[in-house]
Amino acid sequence: MDKDLENLKKQALSAVQAARSVAQLDELENKWFGRAHGELTQLMKGLKDLSPEERKTAGEELNHLKVALSEAVAEKRGVLEGSAWAVAAETERVDITQPALPKKSVGHLHPNTLVQRDLEDLFTSMGFMVLDGPELESDYYNFTALNIPENHPARDMQDTFYVKGHKNWVMRTHTSPMQVRAMQKFGAPLRLVVPGKCFRNEATDVRHEHTFYQLEGLVVDTHITLSHLKGVLEAVARHLYGPATKVRVRPKFYPFVEPGINGEVTCFLCSGKGCRVCKCSGWLEIFGAGLVHPHVLKEGGIDPAQYQGFAFGLGVTRLVMLKYGIDDIRLLESGDMSFLEQF
Amino acid sequence: MNISYNWLKKYVALPSSVTASEVAEKLKMSTVEVEGIMETGQALENVVVGQVVSAEKHPNADKLKVCSVNLGNENVQIVCGGTNVSAGMLVAVAKVGAKVKWHGEGELVELAPAKIRGVESFGMICGADEIGLTERFPKRSDKEIIDLKMDSRFRGNDTVGQPLAQVLGLNDAIFEIDNKSLSNRPDLWGHYGLAREVAVLTNHAIEPYKTKKIPQGSGVDLSVTVKNKIACPKYMAVAMTGVAVGPSPAWLKEKLAAVAVRAINNIVDATNFVMLDLGQPLHAFDRKIIGDTIIVRKATAGERMTTLDEKERKLSEDMLVIAAAPPAGGKAVAIAGVMGGLNSGISDTTTDIIIEAANFEAASIRQTSTRLGLRSDSSVRFEKSLDHNLCSLALERIVMLVQELCPTAKVASKVVEVGRPTLFTGPLTIPISFFEQKIGVAIPVKTISNILSRLGFGVKEKKEKILVTIPTWRATKDISRAEDVVEEVVRIYGYEKITATLPTFPIDPPLKNGLLTLIRKVQDISAKQLAYTEVYNYSFVSVAQIIKLGDDIHKYLELDNPISKEKPYIRRNLLPNLLENAVAAIANREELKIFEIGSVFAADKSGPRVEHNSDELLPRQDTWFTALYVNKKDASPFREARRAVEMIFNSLNLTWEIAPVDKVQPWEHPTRLALVLCGGKVAGVVFELHPRVATAFGLSERMGACSINLSLLTEMMAGLPSRTSHQNRPLYPEVIRDVAFLVKKEVTHGEIIALLQKSDPLLKEVELFDVFEGKGVGEDKKSLAYHLTYGSSDRTLTSSEVDTAENHIIKLLQEKCGAEMRK
Repeated sequence: MDKDLENLKKQALSAVQAARSVAQLDELENKWFGRAHGELTQLMKGLKDLSPEERKTAGEELNHLKVALSEAVAEKRGVLEGSAWAVAAETERVDITQPALPKKSVGHLHPNTLVQRDLEDLFTSMGFMVLDGPELESDYYNFTALNIPENHPARDMQDTFYVKGHKNWVMRTHTSPMQVRAMQKFGAPLRLVVPGKCFRNEATDVRHEHTFYQLEGLVVDTHITLSHLKGVLEAVARHLYGPATKVRVRPKFYPFVEPGINGEVTCFLCSGKGCRVCKCSGWLEIFGAGLVHPHVLKEGGIDPAQYQGFAFGLGVTRLVMLKYGIDDIRLLESGDMSFLEQF
Repeated sequence: MNISYNWLKKYVALPSSVTASEVAEKLKMSTVEVEGIMETGQALENVVVGQVVSAEKHPNADKLKVCSVNLGNENVQIVCGGTNVSAGMLVAVAKVGAKVKWHGEGELVELAPAKIRGVESFGMICGADEIGLTERFPKRSDKEIIDLKMDSRFRGNDTVGQPLAQVLGLNDAIFEIDNKSLSNRPDLWGHYGLAREVAVLTNHAIEPYKTKKIPQGSGVDLSVTVKNKIACPKYMAVAMTGVAVGPSPAWLKEKLAAVAVRAINNIVDATNFVMLDLGQPLHAFDRKIIGDTIIVRKATAGERMTTLDEKERKLSEDMLVIAAAPPAGGKAVAIAGVMGGLNSGISDTTTDIIIEAANFEAASIRQTSTRLGLRSDSSVRFEKSLDHNLCSLALERIVMLVQELCPTAKVASKVVEVGRPTLFTGPLTIPISFFEQKIGVAIPVKTISNILSRLGFGVKEKKEKILVTIPTWRATKDISRAEDVVEEVVRIYGYEKITATLPTFPIDPPLKNGLLTLIRKVQDISAKQLAYTEVYNYSFVSVAQIIKLGDDIHKYLELDNPISKEKPYIRRNLLPNLLENAVAAIANREELKIFEIGSVFAADKSGPRVEHNSDELLPRQDTWFTALYVNKKDASPFREARRAVEMIFNSLNLTWEIAPVDKVQPWEHPTRLALVLCGGKVAGVVFELHPRVATAFGLSERMGACSINLSLLTEMMAGLPSRTSHQNRPLYPEVIRDVAFLVKKEVTHGEIIALLQKSDPLLKEVELFDVFEGKGVGEDKKSLAYHLTYGSSDRTLTSSEVDTAENHIIKLLQEKCGAEMRK
């Protein structure tokens, strides 16, 4: 390469390195590449005076020089601009620990709604219908159709609110009346759950409420067994309390199932070792369940010789209390905003 | 019900390696709910029998004595404040380490060696209340210590040094069994029945229940007439003479005390003992009062009787009574199976008794005891349907026991037995496959037969079937069909051995529930978009709430038996309870937004059927949404309430409109009130609470509210088109121009919209963006400002075209609405 060009390149590159600002770079660019008086522009213009062979070599050399300088400038420009932004950004630093203001108010769903939805979604995913039913029920659906005739001692298990002037109207004591209503409406096979409000005439204290929520489940088909009931209870327990949860089944009398059982799950807090939540037993009673009594199927218009099934009930209120560690059941229907705004 | 473990062990020879808690656990897993086990001796740990060797006056205290007490293998020094302590006395000594209740009060305290007024004391000589023995050793004065010699078991001195619990027989464990878990098991209401169950669960034999045939007595010509065989299927009785009524011996008192039954006298205690033993209630009458003729009949209308608890009972014609024959007045002497009469029972002077062992029909007993509000140990047993075969067994047992307790007593009549009912005891023919079909797991037929035979069932295998005979004690109600037998097998086999499997089904998606889907959407919109908080309230309201609301109380359904007399009515509206929530909450906040979704009950409208094919209908029970808004700075909360409705209906993609109200409810502000129409039908209402009602409820702020009948809306939505279609972006640019003008206050936005919508074909959209009243616009005026969007589907509008349209619109506004344009 021409010695002059070599020198020019050296000087130019060190000038680029020495530049302190984008403006200086702009100046250098103008000095070399300016349309009218740029040094390289001038040299390019001079090419036309050379012989074709000389022109070729000199042209190539000039081009290489131009590319080299352009690249050097672009690179330096990137560095200078970057540090300029960094300086500017530093002046714009925000306090990331400060919350957004003004505070935007948000609403809250009742904890019972949250737990009930979770269960509804679980059962929907397992192909269950979700039904609703009347809270003021007939004595027939609440008791008689469920194999609890008048003057049956099992009526003691459920202290009942009766409606004045209507001997056969009650505030439903459980969600089970919907078993027979659903059988009558849909026939077999059936797979459903019914969440809802229930009422029992008992004095209210920290652990007792006259108003509470249940979720009823019913499955009827030709081949449904106790083993299936255990399977479904286990699926629910694991959904609620994790895959290691165990289910324990014990006999319990409910007139509308035979056999009747209650289902307990290993305590989620102590994993079965015993603690305050499970009253040191290691188990939490969660379900009442059993195989649907043939009388109930009959009341529902389903032939017990052809179909069988299981039913279960979950205390949603109890699940809510367990889930959120609520000690006083009365908070749930207190309308207390400091309580409700926590959910 | 309390069950004594020692009592059970009389009938099942359990080895000592089996503990009470193991048995309780087995019962819990297979039979009944054992709620707790109380070890009776536990409170008396480290308490022994001591003999006071000497009791000298304390050198530094007048009321204390320094005693030397012999504990069998050692003598210890104890300072004692008991007023009756004296040398030679047998006393209860709490040794160092024992836990006592200081002066019978407060928490248990563990004893340590102490110096009392300078004298060392190693333990305590106890008063009855300090170690929980007041029932056995009643105190006569406050500072008295137990004088053990009051109890015959301590007469000799051979008990010195022995643990007190052991001498008192307090080495028992008491099972507390949940009565509800026994409601289907009449056979478990006595120790023998429960022992039978324990024998099966522990694989031990049950002792046969031994009684002797009652010898034929003479002298008394006892006769029984049962007028109502349905209510009283069986009645047995026998007379005994030569009875001496007195206190029961210690063993019997201890037995009763163990299960918390009060000892009364030997005869009454004997009837209670047999009831606790066999589960069959018995009753003893004073023969000299009731005579020798017993009539079992229904009460007559208005008949009255005073029961043992000294209460006069008014009887009704469906109640069964035991009556004496007319010569003795013909009066009722007992309410059958529920409670005896006050004046016909055993007294200290009774010498002749008639013992009744009867079987009464369960429903009739339950009905009587419910009506009278009178539940007794007897009625709770009869209402479970007792085995009538228990009558003769119990009668034999009590005759033996009475003769043991008073050897002078003699059977003085023949045993009268009226009624020979039968029970269905099968055999049930059950295919062997039936068990697997129900349980889902195959249990070997040998195991099935074995379990059933141990439970007392008769079992015969026959080809692919088994024939099962039901023992009478299980045949009254509990077991009558194959399903019941399956339960027996599986609960003894062990639920833990049933593997869990999931059923398989076709993958049909489940039917959607429109109401629940809508509820969920409205909850989400309210909480997440509108920042309302969800509240749950009771379904009951008070008279005061209804009156404050200005509603008609006669429209409300009322509970027959409310918990609180205060709130006996069933809500027709979510408002009153929500209002109370608001009043309580607004006190310490600036703004409150709450909502509730729930059923309300309309007595005047019809709902679901009472039975499948019945014409009788329950009240209509629609699910409503009600939201309340209060802000201390907002005196016109109507608009914010309207925003909730706008947001909900828009988010639901429904086309809706607002309309005036014809009939104003008493709690609604008459000029701040609107209906929400959806598809032309009323779907909801927005209003401000009437200030009068607000004041009545104690609310000093204005309140906005909206309510939507979600049940109705669900039905309506099924037939409504939802706004889902998409519109193409306009091909040609649109022009937006604003207009602002003054009009009289009574001109509504709705009128302006109606006017503009049809004013010019180029006007595409009208949007209100500002309303102003007050300074600068005149008393009776308001300023409105709108964005007006002009456009065309086939060309770009020129500015003169838009000018023409705008001028036209302004002219219309001026002419039709009296608008004064603002620049």
